[in-house]
Amino acid sequence: MCGIVGYAGGRNAQPILLDCLKRLEYRGYDSAGIAVVGDPIQKGLQLFKSKGEIAVLESSMPEMTGTVGIAHTRWATQGRPTTENAHPLSDCTNRLAVVHNGIISNFMEVKEHLLATGHKFVSETDTEVFAHLVEAEMNGDLVAAVRKALEKVEGTYAFVVVSAGHDEIVAARRESPLVIGLGDGENFVASDVTALLKYTSRFLHVQDGEVVSLTRDEVRIFDSEGTAVERRPEKITWSLEDAEKGGYPHFMLKEIYEQPEAIHDSLLGRMESAEPEPFFQGNSFSSVKIVACGTSYHAGLVGKYIIEELAKVPTTVQISSEYRYSPVSRESPLVVLITQSGETADTLGAAREARKRGNKTVGIANVVGSAITREVDHVIYTRAGPEIGVAATKTFVTQVVALYLLAMELGVQNRSLTAQARRSMTSFLRSLPRYVQDVLNKASEIEAIAEKYARSDDMFFIGRSINYPIALEGALKTKEISYIHGEGFPAGELKHGPLALLSKDSPVVAIAVRDHTYEKMLGNISEVSARGSPVIAIGFEGDTDLPKFADDVLSIRQLPPIFTPVPVIVALQLWAYHLARIRGCPIDKPRNIAKTVTVE
Amino acid sequence: MKAVILAAGEGMRLRPLTVSEPKVMIPVANRPILEYVVDSLVKNDVTDMVVVVGYRKERIMSHFEDGKKFGARIEYVVQEKQLGNGHALLAAKDRLSGEFVVLPGDNVVDRRAVGDLLRSGTCPSALVVESDNPSKYGVVTLERGAITSVHEKPAEMISNIILTGMYCLNERIFQAIDGCIAEGEYGLSNAVQASLGEQPVAPVFSDGLWIDAVYPWDLLELNAAALENVPVRTAGKIESQVVLSGPVGIGEETIIRAGTTIYGPVLIGDGCEIGPNVTIFPSTSIGNSVTVEPYTVIKNSVLMSNCSIGAHSYLSHSVLGYGVKSQSHLMAAGAEAYVNIADEFFKVPHIGSILGEDTSFGTGVSVEPGTIVGAGCKVSSGARITRNLPNKALVT
Repeated sequence: MCGIVGYAGGRNAQPILLDCLKRLEYRGYDSAGIAVVGDPIQKGLQLFKSKGEIAVLESSMPEMTGTVGIAHTRWATQGRPTTENAHPLSDCTNRLAVVHNGIISNFMEVKEHLLATGHKFVSETDTEVFAHLVEAEMNGDLVAAVRKALEKVEGTYAFVVVSAGHDEIVAARRESPLVIGLGDGENFVASDVTALLKYTSRFLHVQDGEVVSLTRDEVRIFDSEGTAVERRPEKITWSLEDAEKGGYPHFMLKEIYEQPEAIHDSLLGRMESAEPEPFFQGNSFSSVKIVACGTSYHAGLVGKYIIEELAKVPTTVQISSEYRYSPVSRESPLVVLITQSGETADTLGAAREARKRGNKTVGIANVVGSAITREVDHVIYTRAGPEIGVAATKTFVTQVVALYLLAMELGVQNRSLTAQARRSMTSFLRSLPRYVQDVLNKASEIEAIAEKYARSDDMFFIGRSINYPIALEGALKTKEISYIHGEGFPAGELKHGPLALLSKDSPVVAIAVRDHTYEKMLGNISEVSARGSPVIAIGFEGDTDLPKFADDVLSIRQLPPIFTPVPVIVALQLWAYHLARIRGCPIDKPRNIAKTVTVE
Repeated sequence: MKAVILAAGEGMRLRPLTVSEPKVMIPVANRPILEYVVDSLVKNDVTDMVVVVGYRKERIMSHFEDGKKFGARIEYVVQEKQLGNGHALLAAKDRLSGEFVVLPGDNVVDRRAVGDLLRSGTCPSALVVESDNPSKYGVVTLERGAITSVHEKPAEMISNIILTGMYCLNERIFQAIDGCIAEGEYGLSNAVQASLGEQPVAPVFSDGLWIDAVYPWDLLELNAAALENVPVRTAGKIESQVVLSGPVGIGEETIIRAGTTIYGPVLIGDGCEIGPNVTIFPSTSIGNSVTVEPYTVIKNSVLMSNCSIGAHSYLSHSVLGYGVKSQSHLMAAGAEAYVNIADEFFKVPHIGSILGEDTSFGTGVSVEPGTIVGAGCKVSSGARITRNLPNKALVT
């Protein structure tokens, strides 16, 4: 996904483009750029691009004058997220600029043809061929040139083009979103209406195959044959925020419900290959060290249990900011760095340190081409899509999925995992989205239990083995959005201290699935009940013993113990969400917390 | 003009396929039914939509979000209790003014049917069709180009012209709905009947496609019809000695293993693993992340995402919900059968079985034609299922 805007009007284009672009940041934020036609228009094109978020562009770009321009925010698909690959892209003369959302499927052959006819390319993108195609067809009439260029490209696109010497923007669309906004003495084009709602509420929708010309006074739409098309403007009455949340009251809830799909996407194409990833081939590691912060650290703790079980390799987990203080060990572990944004300063620092120590490194990140991906030897991307709610949900679950894949890879390499065992693991992973869906189907039960305990000031979370980190993560979710003081403990540690904190006003959430820890967990639950604390247990469906021990029970479908963290954390995400909602907290923007921490 | 799509109901007669999602989200040719409705509206330049949601609303909202991906602008209103479609329309009252179109979200309609209604030039109007089986629907009588009466599911034969549930209406309908609700009638056809005295409703006939899915076997017909128009796209990895004949669509990262033969129209989603040596016959849709093991034969069936079917199985005229898992030798053949739905028996000319989501089968299970197996059942090896099973049944 990428975001596109264009402006043709009487005001200075630069600040308006930037403002609209920020509304599209959810569509991608690994690089951004802007091009403004000079004022007077004969002066040529002013173009500036930068890697990173739109804020980076904003703080580094020079002032531009002109009233016609385009801008773009990128989420890399073809070509790495570098300044060169950022949009807009130019032709050989630097008089044309193109922004694009979509994929040109035949770009290799078109590019070869263009290279053969003397065009020079500066980026790895598919988009750049379009700039050169328009250049080749340019004969003074920008609309005609764009239409001719479109005949040569296949794939999906929303293109917006400006050219020095033209006070006109030309746009075209096939299967990628594009809308026209109508103002007074100014007109807009964008990937979606939310980008423009601040400036206008009148819109024209562009259909597949159409080409549009915009100037400050006029919008003309042509079909693929070049015949003018009449279109009635439509008026929009909804607010910005609501639009982006697509019916959900909060981004966090929307993202919780996106998890079955996110798991599916993260697994796609990663399980069938018979050949191991080249990085792992011939690399046998005697130990693994996982380094991460916050929620990613909790994913790492789950990863420890997964890797130790599947690959039988001793694994330690460390907080990123602490890693540098750990002494260099005699052996050389595989260092796994987990960061959603790929920009977390502490984790980036740890990656550099690991490399300095001569260790092999693997990064697990959600943002393609982010900083971490250049600091490590091998990257596993989680394909969770942009996450806007500050409380991590779908990125945590997909990090855990990435760790299953990593552990399987290590296990097959060091022969701890047979091909057959791996096959049954992958077959199970395929059905993992179903177990998440089952929890989502039970949201109203979770909400009803949350209603009973939302007035608590303290809440404790206990679990053992692979679900101990899930207790920590459940506590983190609860404290960060509901402001209830939440603490997670290994259940066995209660008697070594925390029991002193328990009272009838401090509910305890106990993860008690039927695995090798089950009997011990029942013991812990009794221990807690004896202190008068209410117990909310999470267990398997059909467990008739659990209700005898706990005050409330949340059931998940039975599944192999190693996979239980995924449905259990989804239940706890819903738990934290409903606690926060009942308490009236600002769920998507909890106080004092930022989504990506780029300072150490 | 704004469109209102009624998508709040569960679709009880399609149970157990509605455990995780409402009827409107059941996939037909790998797309939810509601997507066909949205698509037909967008193709007629109606992009402003209000979707009335209720049962499992998140599945709808997560798929359509704000409609951008589909070229539409969708806002949602919630009907908390699903009492009837007139009551559902009332939930959208605040978002509507002047004239608007109303569509049921659970009928597949094509661009033409919607276009005929929009361009009839009269409002209020109702899209009507002739039906062989009018007693299931709201039947209308006509006089001089206007609807004179509406009879909901009449026992006797009144006429063969039925309401499709698609209307062009104006704000005055809300008064009629209020009146009907006061008398305990929550249906939209009741309100239309009540409004006839005040404003005539024009019947609009259309040659366009309109298919209502009421019972599980209707899905097979719907699926077959939708597959006729599926654009074919072949991605994924196709091993050697695979035969693809006719229109066959294969999704990203799907592997079709050696010796597999597929006769289109067949649609297969993303991330599947099919074969080696599997045979798939026409009018079959397979969702995402589905595994089908060697020597299995599938005919005229719908397999939703995350299913996994063991070797040497035979599936014909069957619908498998999400995440159905079977070890080898599952037998779900099709034949003429009587199907029991809510204690009513229906004679269906050719039906296999309907298997609810997340049900798992051991090896060598056979399911009699016309049997409905609930969701989340566990069936042990060697079992023979001869009658319907409720959700979460254990068969040992």
